Amino acid sequence: MRMNKWRADVQAFLFLLPFLLVYVGFTFWPMIKGVQMTFYKWTLIKKMQYVGWDNYRRMLQDQEMWDALWHSTIFVLLTTPTMLVLAIMLAMIANRKSRLQKFYRSVFFLPSVLSVAVASFLGLFVFQPYTGLVNSVLHLLGVLSDQREIFWLTETNLAWIAISLITLWWTVGFNFILYLSAMQDIPDEIYEAARLDGANDRQVFWRITLPYLSPITKTITMLQIIASFKVFLQIYIITGGGPLDQTRPIIQLIYQTGFRKNDLGYAATMSYMLFAILLVLSIIQYVINNRKGANA
Amino acid sequence: MKKSYSIVLATLLSTSLLLSACGGNDNKGGNASPAPSDASSSEASAPADAGSGAKVTLSFWTLFDGGDGENMQTLIDEFNKSHPDIVVKNTKLVWGEYYTKLITAVGNGNGPDVGISHTSRLPDLIDQGVVTELDDVADAAGVDWASYNQNLLNATVVNGKHYAAPIDTHPFIMYYNKKLLKDAGLLGDDGKPVLEQSAEGFDTFLKTLKEKLPSKVTPFALSNSNDDPYRLWWALYSQLGGNDIVSDDLQSASVDAEKGAKAADYVQKLFTNGYIKKNDPDFYKNFQSGTAAIMMTGVWATGIWESTKDFEFGAMPIPKIFDQEATWGDSHTIILPTTKSNDPEKRKAALVFADWVASNGHIWAKAGHIPSKPSVIESQEFKDLPYRSDYAMVASTVKFNKPSTKNWQIRDNASFKFLNEVWANKMSPADAMVKLQEGVQKVLSE
Repeated sequence: MRMNKWRADVQAFLFLLPFLLVYVGFTFWPMIKGVQMTFYKWTLIKKMQYVGWDNYRRMLQDQEMWDALWHSTIFVLLTTPTMLVLAIMLAMIANRKSRLQKFYRSVFFLPSVLSVAVASFLGLFVFQPYTGLVNSVLHLLGVLSDQREIFWLTETNLAWIAISLITLWWTVGFNFILYLSAMQDIPDEIYEAARLDGANDRQVFWRITLPYLSPITKTITMLQIIASFKVFLQIYIITGGGPLDQTRPIIQLIYQTGFRKNDLGYAATMSYMLFAILLVLSIIQYVINNRKGANA
Repeated sequence: MKKSYSIVLATLLSTSLLLSACGGNDNKGGNASPAPSDASSSEASAPADAGSGAKVTLSFWTLFDGGDGENMQTLIDEFNKSHPDIVVKNTKLVWGEYYTKLITAVGNGNGPDVGISHTSRLPDLIDQGVVTELDDVADAAGVDWASYNQNLLNATVVNGKHYAAPIDTHPFIMYYNKKLLKDAGLLGDDGKPVLEQSAEGFDTFLKTLKEKLPSKVTPFALSNSNDDPYRLWWALYSQLGGNDIVSDDLQSASVDAEKGAKAADYVQKLFTNGYIKKNDPDFYKNFQSGTAAIMMTGVWATGIWESTKDFEFGAMPIPKIFDQEATWGDSHTIILPTTKSNDPEKRKAALVFADWVASNGHIWAKAGHIPSKPSVIESQEFKDLPYRSDYAMVASTVKFNKPSTKNWQIRDNASFKFLNEVWANKMSPADAMVKLQEGVQKVLSE
């Protein structure tokens, strides 16, 4: 018996080996290397110079870094709650028995199949002044007079709205699917029992649907926070971080520092800072989840 | 919550992966086979000598696409045909990744024998040890530096040494739509704009365009941010006598606040007076589709307008708005990157090639660029190309950046940033100059 188990382990290991080699070589090793980088002034061609904790000291005093981190946080705060609400709403619509059920499901999910560049450029066309869809519709409806234009992409606040809307539209599909499958897992008997007790739609939603969705809500929240902190490409394409770097997220700053300013050491330091933040957030979430699980 | 951990991990890992992955294997086309260097080192042969001896193969990395890419390929093909002892192999890289790839490849010893650099980028490449100096090899290859436009050439000389052979300059110039100018009564009998070369003159010119032409027509097509308005500011700042925004020793910021603000104020008024369409999403298209009277950008647009059907346009230097002629410009230059062997035969062949490209600038000029050799500008082939001769004289009044290693960083992280705010009317020109001084200083001391 023990022999068999040992053999099974070896076999499993052999199957895993190809992946492990790649993983260690291209993921784990660079990660270690990245830590080393943070202690060096390190350029693209490895002109290296040991600088100790200088990169970390510099980072803590770097206003640009804090600004960029704040912008990523703004993005998280803007998109996470809206994403949850929107995904639940869409899932409710698609979960209702109707002839359009299949249509809803595919339409809501469709934008997710686009690549980030395609989604961003579509967004760019939609929010562009003079010829963009939004302004044209506003002109048509007479909400906006012909002489005026709304510059969605060059006013900081409007730019955040545009970026968030594009991101929501593009990524809601995945979360919508998660909610939809979770909703379908809620047993029908519970709904029936509630109806028999005379519960109305609102009560059913707040007392049954939402509580049953809470595990998946937690998961989505966490995934969403992490994904949003990593935001880069859509902002890079839509506003380029402007105006005046007011929408530049931390990843863009890391990219610019590493590849435009040729300062990989400092870029790595900021990457690990972001890593630490995400790690802390995950741990907090983990602890909260476990405590609730124990109480229940 | 294993999932979120793995995602956290993935974030970090992909970042570090990204960063370290560019350390290696960028050698697409970079590894030319070791040259048959010894064997027959036929000394003292003339540069374009079609004699016997071993063939020298040169790998050449370029960043050109579109029309530029085709013209460069034509040049290479012609060169290979006329030089049986040298073979140049072209590797086209994407422009956005070119410098990163060049720097990493040279760092690994996998760089090309010949490469391209912008004049403004040269000091950075020299500082990183990517580019080699050319004085000895230029003697061997028989290059006559005096045959180059000295304004272009001097911008590639750092610490008294030659590092590159400029093949062109691509300055900031002005284009005009002949039909619209005629409608506004501003086109002279010679087919050139009626325009007084002064601050008031240019303003009057634009004001007339605005008044005489339908309101749908943009008097002056220009982008609202980044490159082109910055280039206009740079041109005006230089016309006022401003001498770059870094000091001569390249160590500190030296924005001439008074001149900078005056230039910025002039450009800002072009926006606020409504001559330039606010937040124009595509000012090239605006001009190209005949809905804008004038526009300013780099000379590379000449080729684009030429290929536009039924488009009557003209080209000219930007007006002398202030005290002296000056404009923004940069050059493409041919460089010899550091290689493992630094084989003298290859280097000599490479410089023969570089000089030949410069001497055949009329082919390169098809995209709109101004050739780097005055003799080419005087040649019949060049004169036969329309438009180019209308602005070729600008080559001598281009105001280049000083050889700071941080030119591009200063531009991207300071100049664009604050000037964009001025154009959007969110910052006063005077405030912008204070911020610019601080911003440049910050980049320089990093």
